[in-house]
Amino acid sequence: MEVLLGITGKDFTLIAASKAAMRGATILKVSDDKTRQLNKHTLMAFSGEAGDTVQFAEYIQANAQLYSMRNETDLSPSALANFVRGELASSLRSRKPYNVNLLLGGVDPITHKPSLYWLDYLASLAPVPYAAHGYAQYYCLSLLDKHHQPDISLERGMELLRLCADELKRRLPIDFKGLIVKVVTKDGIEVKPFDEDAVVRGT
Amino acid sequence: MSRRYDSRTTIFSPDGRLYQVEYALEAISHAGTAIGILAKDGIVLAAERKVTSKLLEQDTSAEKLYILNDNMICAVAGMTADANILINYARQAAQRYLLTYNEDIPCEQLVRRLCDLKQGYTQHGGLRPFGVSFIYAGWDPQRQFQLYLSNPSGNYGGWKATSSGANHASAQSLLKQDYKEDCTLKEACGMAVKVLSKTMDSTKLSSEKIEFATVGQTKDGKIYHKLWSAEEITALLKEHDLAKDETTEEK
Amino acid sequence: MSSPFSINGGACVAMVGKDCVAIACDLRLGLQALTVSNNFPKVFQYGDNVFLGLTGLATDVSTVSDLFRYKVNMYRLREERHIAPRTFANLVSSSLYERRFGPYFVSPVVAGLDPTTGAPFICGFDSIGCIDFAKDFIVSGTATEQLFGMCESLWEPDLGPDALFETISQSLLNAVDRDALSGWGAHVYIIEKDKVTKRLLKGRQD
Repeated sequence: MEVLLGITGKDFTLIAASKAAMRGATILKVSDDKTRQLNKHTLMAFSGEAGDTVQFAEYIQANAQLYSMRNETDLSPSALANFVRGELASSLRSRKPYNVNLLLGGVDPITHKPSLYWLDYLASLAPVPYAAHGYAQYYCLSLLDKHHQPDISLERGMELLRLCADELKRRLPIDFKGLIVKVVTKDGIEVKPFDEDAVVRGT
Repeated sequence: MSRRYDSRTTIFSPDGRLYQVEYALEAISHAGTAIGILAKDGIVLAAERKVTSKLLEQDTSAEKLYILNDNMICAVAGMTADANILINYARQAAQRYLLTYNEDIPCEQLVRRLCDLKQGYTQHGGLRPFGVSFIYAGWDPQRQFQLYLSNPSGNYGGWKATSSGANHASAQSLLKQDYKEDCTLKEACGMAVKVLSKTMDSTKLSSEKIEFATVGQTKDGKIYHKLWSAEEITALLKEHDLAKDETTEEK
Repeated sequence: MSSPFSINGGACVAMVGKDCVAIACDLRLGLQALTVSNNFPKVFQYGDNVFLGLTGLATDVSTVSDLFRYKVNMYRLREERHIAPRTFANLVSSSLYERRFGPYFVSPVVAGLDPTTGAPFICGFDSIGCIDFAKDFIVSGTATEQLFGMCESLWEPDLGPDALFETISQSLLNAVDRDALSGWGAHVYIIEKDKVTKRLLKGRQD
C-alpha cells in the first residue's frame, strides 16, 4: 500500500510519497521519507521490497554525488534516469535482483525544463508528464488523465495532488499516513507543507 | 650522465625531470604541424600531412584528423600508430558514456579520460609513454564550443588557439598575433591556412599537403563536424591566394 | 499472460515496396492491462537508412536498442562508413545468440535499403537470433495475428512510397485496434533512396 506520485508542470516537478513504513499489516513509522535527493535538482522516490529500496536508492545517490564531485557538474535528470535504468537492468539478470520501483523527477540544470521518469523493477523506463506507482496508479492516473495540463502552475499542481490524495484516502483500505510532498524547481528542492488532518468523507 | 636517469620512464632525474617524457615531446616536435582555432560559432582544426613519396597510396581517409564522437573531433601530432590506440580508447570511452547516460560525454571528461591513460605511462609500467599530442575540438551543452591540447605527460589545457608539432613555437606566436576575440568560423579558417602556410616549408599549399576539419552549428541548432574534401580545401586555399599553381607542378 | 513477451505490449511491422521500404510501430507501454505511457517508440534508426524495430519486454527493448547504438557507432567510426542493412541483420543475429541461454525477450525487425544496389531489405528474428528473411512483410509483437491478417489482405507487390505508407499505416492501426496490449499512436518510417520520411500517427487514444 505504498503510494508514489509525480506531476510535472510549467517549471517544476512535484514528487509525493506516503509516510507510512509498513511491515506486513503493521505500521512501524508514520513519518517515513521514501525519497532521496540525488543532486541539486533531481529527486528520486522509491517503493518495493523493504531493504532493497533504501539500499538501492542510496547506492544511486552515492554515485550521483560522486559524479558531481569528480566532474564539478551535476548529471541531468535524463542522464540519471538512464544511469538508474542501467543499474536496475543489470540487477534484473543477477542472482538476486533489486525489487524497487522508482519515480525520478527533476529540472534540467541547463534548459530548466522539468521532467519526470517512471521506472519499475524490470527497469522499464518511460518519460511521462505525471506518474504513480503501486495501487495509486489505478486511482490517480485516471484523475490526472482528466485534469493534468503540461503548462500548469505550482498551485494547480498542488491542487491536483490534493485531489489524488483525497481519492486515495477514500478508496485505499489501509491508512498510508498522508503524503510527504517535495517540489523541484530550478532553484533546488524543497518540502511543501501538505495538510494531512483534513477528513475525507466516504462515498 | 643523463643516461642513468632516462632508461626508465618512471624515474626522476636529480633535477626533477622525466627524460622519457621529454623525449616523447621531442618526437612530436618533428611531426607535421597541427593547429586549432576557436571561433564564436565553431572550431577549425588544420594539420600538415607529410607526403613521403609519390608512390605512397594517397589514403582516402584522413591520417591526422579523426572523429572521436558525435560532438568531438581531434587532430594528431606525433606517432600515428600510438594515436590509433588512444583514438580507439577515446571512442570506446565516449560510446560507453553514451550507453550509461544516454547523453554525449562532456568534452573535458573525454579529454581527461585520455590524459589519465597517458599519465599512467609516465608513472608505472616500465613501458614508453605515448608519443602523441592531440588537439581536440568539441561542443557540449554546458560549455559550448571548446578547444583542448594534451601532450604525452598527461597534461591538458583549454585554449582559444593552439598548435602542436613542427614549428609549433612560431605557429603559436603567429596565432597570438592574429587571434581576434569572437572571430567567425570563416575568419578562423582563413587564419588557419595563413598560419600553416608560414610554418610549412613551402609557401604555396596544396590539398594533399594539409587536412582540414570544422565543428560548427547548423541554422536549426544542430552540431555538426566535417572533415573537408580535397576540393573544399583547394577552394579555401584559392580564396586566400595560397594555392599552388597547378600549371607549374614541380617534380 | 505472464510471458515476458506480453507484459508491456507493443506491435511492429515492416514492408517492402518498389525501391522503398517501410517500418512502423505503436507507442504503448503498459503493465499488463494498465497503460503507463503512450510515448514509447519501438523503432530505432542506425545510420542513413537502417532501422530496427523491437517489441517484447520494455526493459530489453531499451537495453538492446542502446546496445546496438553502441555497436553501430563503433562500426561507423572504425569503418568510416554506415552499416548496411544485411550486415546489421547479421550483427543482430550474432548478438542475440550470444545470450542463447538467457535471452533478451525481444522480437526484432530490420528494414533498410542496400547502400550500393538500393534494393529493399527486411527481415525478422526470434529472440535468440534466428533470421527470417522475407520478400513481402515482417510482423512482431502482441498483435502478430492481427497484423498477419491485415498485411495478407492489404499488401501487394511494387507499391510506391505513398501507397506503401497508406498500406502499412492501415495495417498497423487496424491490427492494434483488435489488440488490448498495443496501440495508442504509431510511428511510421518510409525509407526511399536519399530520403526518409517519419510520420507520427495519433491513432485511437482509448
